[in-house]
Amino acid sequence: MTDFTPDTRPVIARLTGCSKRYPGVIALSDADFELRAGEVRALLGKNGAGKSTMIRLLTGAETPDTGLVTIGDTPLRDAGSGRAAEAFGLGVRVVYQELSLVMDLSIAENLFLGRWPRQGGVIRHKVMYAEAQAALARLGVTLSPALPVSALSPAERQLVEIARVLIGSPKLVILDEPTSSLAEAEANKVLAAVRRIAAEGIAVIYVSHRMNEIRQIADSVTVMRDGRIIETVPASGAATREIVRLMLGAHMEEQARIQPGHPGAVVLEVQNIALAPKLADISFTLRAGEVLGIAGLLGSGRTELLQAIMGIARPQSGEIRVDGQPVTGASYRAMLRRGFGFTPESRKEAGIVPMLGVDENTVVTDFAAVSLRGRLLSRILSAPRIAAATRRVIDRLQIKTARTDTPIGTLSGGNQQKVVIGRWVHAGSRVLLLDEPTRGVDVEAKAQIYRIIRELAAENCAVIFVSSEVEELPLVCDRVLVLRDRRIAEEMTAPNIDQDRLLAACLTAA
Amino acid sequence: MSAQAAPTRRAGLAGHMNELSLLAGIFVLYAVFAATADGFMTFHNQINILRDAATIGIAAWAATLIIIAGEIDVSTGPMVAFVSVILAYFLQWGVPTLPAFALALLLGGALGGIAGALRAFCDVPSFVATLGLWSALRGIALYLTDALPVSIGRNPVVDALDRSFLGVPPSAILMLLLFAVFLFISRKTAFGRSVYAVGGNPQAAFLSGINVARVRVMVFVIGGVMAALSGILLLSRLGSGNATAASGLEFDVIAAVVVGGTALSGGRGSMVGTLLGVLVITLIGNGLILLGINPFIQQVVRGLIIVGAVLANIQAIKRARARQA
Repeated sequence: MTDFTPDTRPVIARLTGCSKRYPGVIALSDADFELRAGEVRALLGKNGAGKSTMIRLLTGAETPDTGLVTIGDTPLRDAGSGRAAEAFGLGVRVVYQELSLVMDLSIAENLFLGRWPRQGGVIRHKVMYAEAQAALARLGVTLSPALPVSALSPAERQLVEIARVLIGSPKLVILDEPTSSLAEAEANKVLAAVRRIAAEGIAVIYVSHRMNEIRQIADSVTVMRDGRIIETVPASGAATREIVRLMLGAHMEEQARIQPGHPGAVVLEVQNIALAPKLADISFTLRAGEVLGIAGLLGSGRTELLQAIMGIARPQSGEIRVDGQPVTGASYRAMLRRGFGFTPESRKEAGIVPMLGVDENTVVTDFAAVSLRGRLLSRILSAPRIAAATRRVIDRLQIKTARTDTPIGTLSGGNQQKVVIGRWVHAGSRVLLLDEPTRGVDVEAKAQIYRIIRELAAENCAVIFVSSEVEELPLVCDRVLVLRDRRIAEEMTAPNIDQDRLLAACLTAA
Repeated sequence: MSAQAAPTRRAGLAGHMNELSLLAGIFVLYAVFAATADGFMTFHNQINILRDAATIGIAAWAATLIIIAGEIDVSTGPMVAFVSVILAYFLQWGVPTLPAFALALLLGGALGGIAGALRAFCDVPSFVATLGLWSALRGIALYLTDALPVSIGRNPVVDALDRSFLGVPPSAILMLLLFAVFLFISRKTAFGRSVYAVGGNPQAAFLSGINVARVRVMVFVIGGVMAALSGILLLSRLGSGNATAASGLEFDVIAAVVVGGTALSGGRGSMVGTLLGVLVITLIGNGLILLGINPFIQQVVRGLIIVGAVLANIQAIKRARARQA
């Protein structure tokens, strides 16, 4: 696979014929992979392409059903919980997307978290600071190790995470989208650190979709799709179009493309919105009956854009108008009163109240509609009206639940998501902002969510549909905006929304 | 997730494991005290139990809402004493009785509102906000009165509040009436269900359009009003405002709510559970006194029983859920 350059550097990590199957899915099938000392390999692929399964095999978190994982010259043998320790002992380290630092401890304390150098139970601060300073210097970082992590910028925190895995003598460092939450200038600090790691002879797997970064630091790019390693190509020569073709594969024309409709009046105008550091000079309009897709990589500012519109985040400049009236600076609740609805990206943390029933999670957006009639009684809920309203939403969105009052926490992710959307149907919202509504949702539920969105649009709802899965945007949207480098980089209109062009636009400038 | 989350409508006995195990506990307490403590089962003592229950109960109904909302209120005892003192001064100054009562309730609501606003708008943890009240209110009351009772002389309205009606003290009747009101609020009103939503997931509640800050302020205002009501009843019982009274009441109240199965982490709990919890706490206090146990040892026994009750309750719920799964 990597035979495009004759390489004499020792192989650090190797997968031979590895397959991994989970109930109902083949997560990885017959993967061969080889990585040499000092090599930086970018790993590309859509959600569910098998990247994380491969990482878990390398770290020993999972055992392959068939095949062999070799680190250095040693195959991983333990089939159980000892496997991860085995891989760790052989020098495999991972930096995950979510930061795992303790904010109010110092950099040094975080670097040695739980393994502080000590004498008789007392931490030897001098030794710890000296070692921490050395670990940071390896990455070219000159921060004082005594600084609390809470005082650092996001990029600096990421660097501390990386410095932490460099303690000991790692052979393979896996970085999972380390720059996704960083602005470009910030990201460069992380890239510089990655170069230094590689120069020490450590092998690096770099999961990212930012083609600019990949071209800067990676030697080669391995593209995965549907649980397979499709190809490994040199990073320097890789054309984005080629990468997109490898990531998406040959795909059929979308079954049911959206035909250009006749959208109604403009309901939302966004003019020159800026929200540092993620968004600059964003302008667009949204019409009744229109589904507007927002595409962009993780960290491209999609969520921030929705939050700015909804009044959750305050843009530094620009104007927002609803029905022609300026609403810039309006509160979230004021936007709800104007008929807006918003479903968050993180269903569990911000979407559901797990202990309450499907019914209460649905009617929570409009208690008045399920209260007793009469002015004095309007704050008293009517059980039959709650049940009826919930039943309407359940039927309309095809939510699978035993009863209307089943605790929502016991439902599947797809059904929970349908309730979270359904609560705005209950509220009668006319503008819906959906942040990644299909994330972590099974195929059937996805199709149902697409159908619901189209139905709502047919009823003159305006919908903003944020998605990181380019395949689904042509199925749902009348129009798609691509966010890249803080701006709207491209706009596509049905029926000319094409997933290859969308992905290419997300990855890099044309 | 939780079977007794909304106790109104969860089907089956397993959904009421919490209440059932508490009832069993109360039955055991009755059996033990009836067998060992002289005079426990007399009508007079049962009335005493009800009267004591009222002291804890009225505050506990509001505390249940506060704890379900994911907050805590430790200012109850000093607030009750403070209001009784201020009310006594009002009456000394000749403020007519009923307006004085209204002012007292208003004062309680305002004090609770301060704690609620600190929590809702300034992000001061409610434990700290109410701890501040706890200390300051007790201090002001002691300073004003030199720790001496503030006598109010004869007052027919106040006296009537302590005169039994068909053998039952008005405070007990008031407690039971308020129980019905709070049961209704917690189950049937938009506000009550919002309290559960805010405690269960404040972010989701906010994004759904619930006015989270208002809910947080309101539960503390209600807590203050209920403390003030307890202060009025205290005044009628003692015939004076008393800065040193109701010492440690807040802990009895929190213990009753927690023994009643309400989660300190918020989002889960029930009024019925708290009613039973209030009974447990009151029974323990009453029975131990009748048994003539050394008062210091009484505190030890009470502590053990509270922790034991919560432990047994958690185990029973876990077992019931394991069977369901």
